[in-house]
Amino acid sequence: MMSSMVNSKSRFSIPGYLVGPFLILIVAMIYGSLGSEYFLQPSSIVFNTGRYIEIGLLALALTFVIINGDIDLSVASTLAASAGVLAKLFESGVPIVWCCVASVFTGFILGLLNGLIVIKFGLPSLVVTLATLALYRGLTQVMLGDGVVADYPESFVGFDQRLVIGGSPGLPAPLALFIVASIIFYYILHRSNYGLKNIMSGSNPSSSNFSGISVNNVRLIAFALSGTVAGVCAVMITSRLGSTISNVGLGLELLAITAVVLGGTDIFGGRGAISGTVVALFAIMAVREALVIQDINGQVQDAAIGLLLILTVLVPRIRSYYVEQRNRKKRFNESQTRT
Amino acid sequence: MATELKSKVTYIFKKREFGIFLFILILLAVFGSLEPRFFRSDNLSAILSSVGILMVVGAGQTLVIVTRNIDLSVGSSLGMAAMVMGMVARSRPDFSIVGLILIAMVVGGICGLINGLLVSYGKIPSIIATLGTLAIFRGAVFVVSDNVQIDPNDVPKGIIALSTTSPIGIPWLLIFAFLSIVLVWYISSQTLLGKRIYAVGSNPEGAISRGLSFNKITIMVFVFVGVLAGLGGVLYTARYATINPADVGRGLEFDVISAVVIGGTNIFGGSGTALGTALGCILIGILSNGLTVVGVSPFWKACATGFLILAAVAIDNLVRKRQEENFLLAIRNQRTVK
Repeated sequence: MMSSMVNSKSRFSIPGYLVGPFLILIVAMIYGSLGSEYFLQPSSIVFNTGRYIEIGLLALALTFVIINGDIDLSVASTLAASAGVLAKLFESGVPIVWCCVASVFTGFILGLLNGLIVIKFGLPSLVVTLATLALYRGLTQVMLGDGVVADYPESFVGFDQRLVIGGSPGLPAPLALFIVASIIFYYILHRSNYGLKNIMSGSNPSSSNFSGISVNNVRLIAFALSGTVAGVCAVMITSRLGSTISNVGLGLELLAITAVVLGGTDIFGGRGAISGTVVALFAIMAVREALVIQDINGQVQDAAIGLLLILTVLVPRIRSYYVEQRNRKKRFNESQTRT
Repeated sequence: MATELKSKVTYIFKKREFGIFLFILILLAVFGSLEPRFFRSDNLSAILSSVGILMVVGAGQTLVIVTRNIDLSVGSSLGMAAMVMGMVARSRPDFSIVGLILIAMVVGGICGLINGLLVSYGKIPSIIATLGTLAIFRGAVFVVSDNVQIDPNDVPKGIIALSTTSPIGIPWLLIFAFLSIVLVWYISSQTLLGKRIYAVGSNPEGAISRGLSFNKITIMVFVFVGVLAGLGGVLYTARYATINPADVGRGLEFDVISAVVIGGTNIFGGSGTALGTALGCILIGILSNGLTVVGVSPFWKACATGFLILAAVAIDNLVRKRQEENFLLAIRNQRTVK
């Protein structure tokens, strides 16, 4: 019964939330290819994905948090704190493998802490994660000061340069990881028991509670998941950059949240899809790279993403407004002719 | 019965702000005893002028949060207003100071109007709409200024004088901060509009079914915070004398929202006072200055702010729960007496 509810075709037959991101993706592709003939070459596209994979992973995990009706503003700071722990342990001579494990564990603990504060004290997640955004970033600054930790071993650095499948476009390791992660998260959200509970407790917390779903546990798991993924991203970003400073990943949370919302997940919870987040991530990537090719300032690139965010929410609203008005007029005319 | 309940409610409101006030006194005592230089007049005036900008914008943000919305774009609107004002001043050095201030406020108001229209008629959740405009306005600052900063030579002397000179011994900057807090206090507690703003925040459906124009009130509060952010842009220019497109007002939204939340405004709307916000701003100002003066590494500042927000919200929540219990008890007692 449960699986039939998830599998039912009517739910995903017309994925309206994918229309906007896909349109943006196509337009950005065309615009970028006007700037340079190399823009649409598979190898350059694949190469460009490397810098966005952390944002993508954070966005995938945030999808669960946002479907619950919560928000986690602290993901980038959690990432920084995990990277800080990794760097500090490495400096004191711990083998790099254990540093990575500690980094992921730190992310898990910090995410769990977010969830526990939100649930045990009954506080709004917006405020709590705003506070931990400052708190975790502050911890990173206290740990690292204004120093730089570098000199990571050869075998650890350059994760994004490695190819899982060789060849001329090839498949770089981060992209492969992202594909695997999206498939796993897709199964968790749309095919598993947890995903169903996640969507149900987001759309109606109190009735879910009465029907035997522990809404608080579902929310706690989502927060812990988001923290853990931030810990994994900390390892990736350290390997990619080859050094750690205290402002690592500053502002990534806004891009990640933008990707989730652009992908059609309702900011008030109860609705959302992994496919939306994935397509939205690639749309954001295409827009930014197209603007880079056209030599446009970074702040203006952010502005373009912001504008797209607003338009993807606004345009369907305007459309439905006009459709409703037309229907109302039709009903009015029908009632006039009847009398 | 009504008066008794009212006195009870006002008593608790007073108590909440009293708690922040007490905490400020404790901080002052701690910092002062650790480092006597903390109480030197130049240090105190440095604290106050950084608090002033926060207070002007925080006053507006309080009303926005009371209506269950949030404005993340205040830092960028402030930057936009300051930049446009600076460019007018650069191209026409003889422009009057009052005119420049008005220009900044109008530009801020337009930014607020855009936010308000998106949230009210566009029906976009305010956190998404202002997350978008946060980036858009910042991009607009770059486009308008062509990525060229306004140098101190191009900022009129009259604007810089706002942070130093004064008619009555207090710099204009603080007078503006004080006036905006008083204005928000007046609107929220003395006018019908204020009652409507709080009504929309505490029960939107109820307010709409009572015939309040939800959209009009939403637009009004957003324009209000925009105008105050424009004024904040003037004060920012007065204090720092340069307007850099990347730096002006960046990250201000975080400090402002922290101050408002520490001041006891409920992030879910319906309650919050101007006095609380003012105290929250002062608390943040004292904390960040005091840590530096006492010699604690500035890296602890972000940690301290984070802890402070958590503590403020947790205590606030406990107070609110107890208040609700007392309220219910009072009603029950009234019933049994009758």
